[in-house]
Amino acid sequence: MTEDSTPAPAEAATAEVHLDEHGQPLSKNALKKKLKAEAAAKKKAEKDAAKAAAAPANSKKEEVEITDPHLYTENRRNAVAQMEREGFNPYPHKFHVDYRIPDFIQEYEAKTTDGEKLQDKQVSIAGRVVSIRRQGKLYFDDLRGDGAQVQVMSDPQTYGDEEAFQKIHKIIKNGDIIGVTGYPGKSKKGEFSIFPTKIELLSPCLHMLPFAKGDSNMGGLTNMETRYRQRYLDLIVNKEIRDVFGIRASIITEIRKFLDDRHFLEVETPMMNMIPGGAVAKPFITYHNDLSMDLYLRIAPELYLKMLVIGGLDRVYEIGRQFRNEGIDLTHNPEFTTLEFYQAYADYNDLMDMCEELVSGLVKKICGSYKIKYSPKPGLPEVEIDFTPPFKRISMIEGLEEAMKTKLPEMDDPEVEAKLLELLKEHDLECTPPHTTARLLDTLVGEFLEDNIIHPTFITEHPQIMSPLAKYHRSKKFLTERFELFAAGRELANAYTELNNPVIQYNLFLEQAKAGSAGDDEAMVMDDSFVTALEHGLPPTGGFGLGIDRLTMFLSNKNNIKEVLLFPAMKPSDDQMALIAKNAPKKDATNTNMSINMAHYSSADMTNEDVLERLNNDLAGKAFVHGISPTKDDAKLLEKVLKADESVIASQPNVLAWTKLLGMFTPEIRASWS
Amino acid sequence: MILSSSKILFRRPGFFVTAFVPQSQLRSIVSQKTTGTVTGTASHVRSSRGSYGFSNRLRYLASSSSNSSTEIHETTPSSSSLEELNQKIKDKGDEIRQLKADGVVDKDSLAPHVEELLALKAQLPPEETTKATTPTSKQKKDTLKQTHQKQKNEKEPEKELTESEIKTVRLAKVEAMRDAKVEPFEYSFDVTTSAAKLMLDYKDKLEPGEEDETSDVAVAGRIMTRRVFGKLAFFSLQDESGTIQLQFDKKRLGEEFQGLKDWTDGGDIVGVRGTVRRTDKGELTVYAKEWKMLTKAVLPLPDKYHGLQDITKRYRQRHVDLIVNPDVRDTFRKRAKITSMMRRLLDDMGFLEIETPVLHTQSGGAEAKPFETFHNSMDMDLTLRIATELHLKRLIIGGFEKVYELGRIFRNEGISTRHNPEFTSIELYQAYADYEDMMDLTEQLVCTIAEEVCGGLELPYGDFTVSLHRPWRRVTMHDIVKEEIPDFDFAALDPDDPESLNKAKEVAMAAGVDGIAKLNSVGEVLNTCFEELCEPKLIQPTFVIDYPVEVSPLAKPHRSKPALVERFELFAVGREHANSFSELTDPVDQRKRFEAQAAKKAAGDEEACDVDEDFLLALEQGMPPTGGLGIGIDRLIMLLTNSPSIRDVIAFPLLRPNTDGK
Repeated sequence: MTEDSTPAPAEAATAEVHLDEHGQPLSKNALKKKLKAEAAAKKKAEKDAAKAAAAPANSKKEEVEITDPHLYTENRRNAVAQMEREGFNPYPHKFHVDYRIPDFIQEYEAKTTDGEKLQDKQVSIAGRVVSIRRQGKLYFDDLRGDGAQVQVMSDPQTYGDEEAFQKIHKIIKNGDIIGVTGYPGKSKKGEFSIFPTKIELLSPCLHMLPFAKGDSNMGGLTNMETRYRQRYLDLIVNKEIRDVFGIRASIITEIRKFLDDRHFLEVETPMMNMIPGGAVAKPFITYHNDLSMDLYLRIAPELYLKMLVIGGLDRVYEIGRQFRNEGIDLTHNPEFTTLEFYQAYADYNDLMDMCEELVSGLVKKICGSYKIKYSPKPGLPEVEIDFTPPFKRISMIEGLEEAMKTKLPEMDDPEVEAKLLELLKEHDLECTPPHTTARLLDTLVGEFLEDNIIHPTFITEHPQIMSPLAKYHRSKKFLTERFELFAAGRELANAYTELNNPVIQYNLFLEQAKAGSAGDDEAMVMDDSFVTALEHGLPPTGGFGLGIDRLTMFLSNKNNIKEVLLFPAMKPSDDQMALIAKNAPKKDATNTNMSINMAHYSSADMTNEDVLERLNNDLAGKAFVHGISPTKDDAKLLEKVLKADESVIASQPNVLAWTKLLGMFTPEIRASWS
Repeated sequence: MILSSSKILFRRPGFFVTAFVPQSQLRSIVSQKTTGTVTGTASHVRSSRGSYGFSNRLRYLASSSSNSSTEIHETTPSSSSLEELNQKIKDKGDEIRQLKADGVVDKDSLAPHVEELLALKAQLPPEETTKATTPTSKQKKDTLKQTHQKQKNEKEPEKELTESEIKTVRLAKVEAMRDAKVEPFEYSFDVTTSAAKLMLDYKDKLEPGEEDETSDVAVAGRIMTRRVFGKLAFFSLQDESGTIQLQFDKKRLGEEFQGLKDWTDGGDIVGVRGTVRRTDKGELTVYAKEWKMLTKAVLPLPDKYHGLQDITKRYRQRHVDLIVNPDVRDTFRKRAKITSMMRRLLDDMGFLEIETPVLHTQSGGAEAKPFETFHNSMDMDLTLRIATELHLKRLIIGGFEKVYELGRIFRNEGISTRHNPEFTSIELYQAYADYEDMMDLTEQLVCTIAEEVCGGLELPYGDFTVSLHRPWRRVTMHDIVKEEIPDFDFAALDPDDPESLNKAKEVAMAAGVDGIAKLNSVGEVLNTCFEELCEPKLIQPTFVIDYPVEVSPLAKPHRSKPALVERFELFAVGREHANSFSELTDPVDQRKRFEAQAAKKAAGDEEACDVDEDFLLALEQGMPPTGGLGIGIDRLIMLLTNSPSIRDVIAFPLLRPNTDGK
């Protein structure tokens, strides 16, 4: 459609562009393309201006092209208000659509011939106007909807009512949503079009849209910030953005199909947990008011899914959001989507086979071939990645020893950490403390194995110390039955034979807890209820996790995770921050979930029983007004509360406990709290 | 503690036998606390726990003596005399069966054999008929009987082994297996069929007593009941599909049989390979050629009389609930089917599934209190989404014409049988559609799913039968409130007249509606009257349409009725199930609505939202006329699975923290 959609009228400037367009192969260097596009746009703007000046001056205000966006919006707002005053509804409730634009094209393009319209077929379509051209009494509008574009070729004869024809075309501006009823047909030049008998404004666009000029698919909207912040604009003007989300949706649909066909059951497990388990990561913390309880957003669904396998759901999966309170970069967003599945009676060997089938099948289905082109980092050249199964398998320790041409220390060597650190130094590698065996090994694996992987490769048999939920290897000491799938240096999947021995699981949790208290804030947290569940017997089970966002990045050749998320996390812009601050109710200083809103008490009579009861509820689960440390708000409030009758205070247990706690500090100390 | 009353055995049907069978021996073991070998074994377990490291992983303790396991058996008195007796009974039984098989069917010829069999059986100690390994020495039995008697006299409550005692004994078995170089936590097992499939494959096949000798099947699952008779054992095995009987005997298994007897308990997960036969009683059975312990369960299955009464324990330990209540598994199977069908139906209609953020910088899209959290590295306050509405609408603005998201929503509210702080909803948006279209779509979705999942449109729910036959009733909010307050017409009130509000309030209070005094508009009064008076009575599916604008900040003004919006909510069994509007597309009107919300918020309404400038900016780019629909997935599942509480359809509902320290 891109070529056919160029205007039919024989206008000199557009014809030139037309020619240029045909002369340009798609793969031409982007800068050159852009320059050309800009030059063409400039030319066209000049032409348009000339044309506008030449046009009969019905209403100067509307015909002169306005270039200042604020003025443009102002004018549009006024125009819309004017319509409403005139009893014309610019936001109608309903417009019946016979065909989506892509369906309309598919249905009628082949059935029409040049210069003819099907006068017996009156149909309705709707979409957004992305360009308007006028030639004499004819209007040529391009209408876009659901990823396709069609020309609206409007003439007063077909339209019938000339007055209405003039009126509606005066109203419609670039970016408006309109509904069109008319005949399918083709222009004399062979451009497939709809010839309207009626056009309706469905929703006006009050802003100037930064549309693509010339042949570029990427339009005037190239600023990354704006693209992500105002994704709808990005979707309106940059046509191929929606394709990424089509790919994303089909990946998820295909995965569901793959698993449903194998009798897996899709389940939903909690996203708010009392213990953040199943992975090692910093969690988000939130607070449940009614239960007076801190909750963590899940970092992995693993433990819950295994509990379901214990419960006899032998094959379960969940595709869903995980949350990690980490920095944002090219491959990390605070919330991301994973697949995890668990299959009873399977082990990691079974899962490697399944993983090959699933991943290579997805690549083939979505990209049409096992081989894809991918640029792993911005600026790096594209590499070809071959997903033809079977994938290569490297046992981690053996692979490391081979790559480093040295023998690694044994895991039970009392000086294993010192020796690994020595190795790191030898190779000029850094590892942020604490220098636990797991972290040191991870650094080496990153350097010597992961970074050298291009084609999909399983790194297998991680040491137990790096894998507290994986099962000890059936024949290799200190190792586990685990694998990770890497491609182009990025981790795609992680799986293991699940540890189902409760005694060993308990001890591994204890070790993790030790590491945690030694300063490794990425150590796993002890989860007693999970150990209890294991004691009820988890069958031999293979568990598998896959990053959906990462896979989408591969299959759509994007190297920034923001490109595969519709609304990636962004720090609000200064404008947004100001607005949010303006709109938000005033919060107290410390601004944590544990805080009590002091506004409720600043002018309240604290001797009033109802007020005290409220304070009592607010203090539930807290030591101090702002949670875990005392502040001057505590001191101030205490003074007021102590004016109340003792028996009244005593009837509110949380308030009583709080007054007693504060009473343990001298007034001098209380006065020093900030 | 009563160990050997046959009464108890009979009172404990099904798998509870299992939990009990080993206890008599366990008790005898545990009671010898001070010097008993099991205590020794237990401490072995503990010490191995404490000093666990990679170097002493138990399974690598290659050939340490098998003391503990043999000693366990030494504590169990010899049972040879009983075994002999059992064998005799079995032989006699076989003889009788053989006679029957040979065509001897007349009672008279069989009578002497049967008498002989009964005489043999009479020699069995009453409660040991099912237990070969229980004490048989007369002395022991007498002691037990005395204990029994004594306890009965004193009317002491029944006492069983505590969970930790059972755990100790079972951990000892783990050790025993390790000592025998058998892994108690296997790595994998190749399952060839399932219980349900076997039942289907052998339906109307095999006569009682007949064996399909050509068959070779492998099944795996959890031992639900366990009966061991000398050289013969029958287990019932539960897998995901159902249950099937397993038969083991020494004849086939040889040495393996001893391990089966010694190491298995109810609750263990085993894999069995064998042939298929039908027992003389006609029960389809896998007749084992080999067996494998796949996972030794360290804790027993719950006792029906204690464990499952506690409803919160069902939710807290959902895995146990799933093991013992097949209905619960069925509910979650239906849940998966409902969501999967919902997706398939929408995909087929050309809707695109979308994932929008859970973490929002500004809360909006519904009236509810959000959860708050904090992003460390961005140094930024975030709220968890209370709706997906505003982001999905942005995508409609961006040019997607049909989108949906089926996902989790979070609201910082109390918990109840209808509310969980996180729940699943579907929101869908369709450009160029309105709320009438959405009503048709709702009917179509719910009916198609109900027919597929429930097999029909007449659904039992509690004491009601809900009929989903289309079309569903459609009634305006004004009309339905009028049914309850017949002498007053809210629609006749002039919204601009300040007296209208007072009149409305008076009428509402006279009708006994609570919480009216604080309301500030006629619309809110009407809505509250509806919620209080009408909502609980709406059992059959009903679309309540045309809501007051004051309670619907994101809906489009009604095309013909002033002060109302084009909105409906779907009610059934007294609950809201869906909410839908012709979406408000006018940015100027939307700003006014947001400002009204912000004013409410400033006045202390924590559920009201702020002015969302970012969304207004998006609306100004032009949003096509759009119909939006939200359906509460959990509530729909409750309706379709006849579940009274939301906790029955959420695998792990949020519960108050357990106060007894567990």
